[in-house]
Amino acid sequence: MESFQVGEFTFPLDLSKPLYEQVLQHIRHAVARGDVLLGTKLPSVRDLAQQLKINPNTVMRAYQELDRDHLTETRRGQGTFITSDLNTVSQVKKDLAFEAVQAFVSTMKQLGIDRTTAQSLIKEVEWHE
Amino acid sequence: MNSALEINNLCKSYGSKKALSELTVSFPEGQVTGLLGPNGAGKSTLLKSFVGLVKPESGTIRVFGQQLSWKLNADISYLPDRAKWYKFHTVEHALSYAHKILPSFDLSRAHQMIKMMDLGLADKVSTLSKGQEARLHVILCLARNVKLVLLDEPFSGIDLISRERIIQSIIDSMLDKQQTIILSTHEIHEAESLFDHVVFLDQGHLIQEGNAEVLRQENGSIESIYRGLFR
Repeated sequence: MESFQVGEFTFPLDLSKPLYEQVLQHIRHAVARGDVLLGTKLPSVRDLAQQLKINPNTVMRAYQELDRDHLTETRRGQGTFITSDLNTVSQVKKDLAFEAVQAFVSTMKQLGIDRTTAQSLIKEVEWHE
Repeated sequence: MNSALEINNLCKSYGSKKALSELTVSFPEGQVTGLLGPNGAGKSTLLKSFVGLVKPESGTIRVFGQQLSWKLNADISYLPDRAKWYKFHTVEHALSYAHKILPSFDLSRAHQMIKMMDLGLADKVSTLSKGQEARLHVILCLARNVKLVLLDEPFSGIDLISRERIIQSIIDSMLDKQQTIILSTHEIHEAESLFDHVVFLDQGHLIQEGNAEVLRQENGSIESIYRGLFR
């Protein structure tokens, strides 16, 4: 897996998974984790496509989806910016946490672990805060 | 999704060897398609048939809904495998000559690309390295305002930096205009992130095709799918 630094973003790209989803998820996670300041300008489609050496259609598709979720805002002639709206950011954080929990649940199911056991495992695990 | 090219039941033999065998396949419009397969799969023969350099024994080819013709060729840019240019030209001569003979050649864009690709206008073609000459050929193809671009092995046997420059110019070209690009290559690892669509050929047959992102979702990287198909 190769890693690319574009502006304030680091993009590890894995060719065995859909590229559009990876671009989308990296930006979502970067915002939810607070790695990127709110209101930050995203790299232009041209810059990101050139730096990652990927099809510009892939970048455009990811940007459109971010816009649709209101995580970014495209201002005409100026570019695409991360939202400054804290509510949107906390919603994205919640969505990502929910996705992670769902992944956890399906792994537990595959292992044949029931809900009560899984819940007690969560209680037992150390959080290292 | 509209098809830029529709190929139906195409057959072509060289002596007893079948290069294309009842091949039926289409290529989506406005996208980059990777045309993949081992040597002898029929990739070059297929690309040549789109510009009339190979006459199939049977079958039909429709390009943007039309039959092949000299007139239609004005809308197609074709980079042959093992392309050569006049040795006695300088890079600048090559551009002005291309401007004279190639329909819709954008000279100012070609000059921009020469800068971007780090070539010298005064350099003679005979003194260019293999990689530099490959860059020149790609510029001559991509600096045209045509609807269809066919690149037969634009990366084969050339250095890493030249390959990266060529990839960069293909990305730029996609951003600047709506084009259908078909690219055959063996450098799948380096090129696969450019593909919207992929077509796998083997011995003149279509063996798999699909949207690159869907294929990745289902089966992993295009490179690993290739390995699975041809190992």
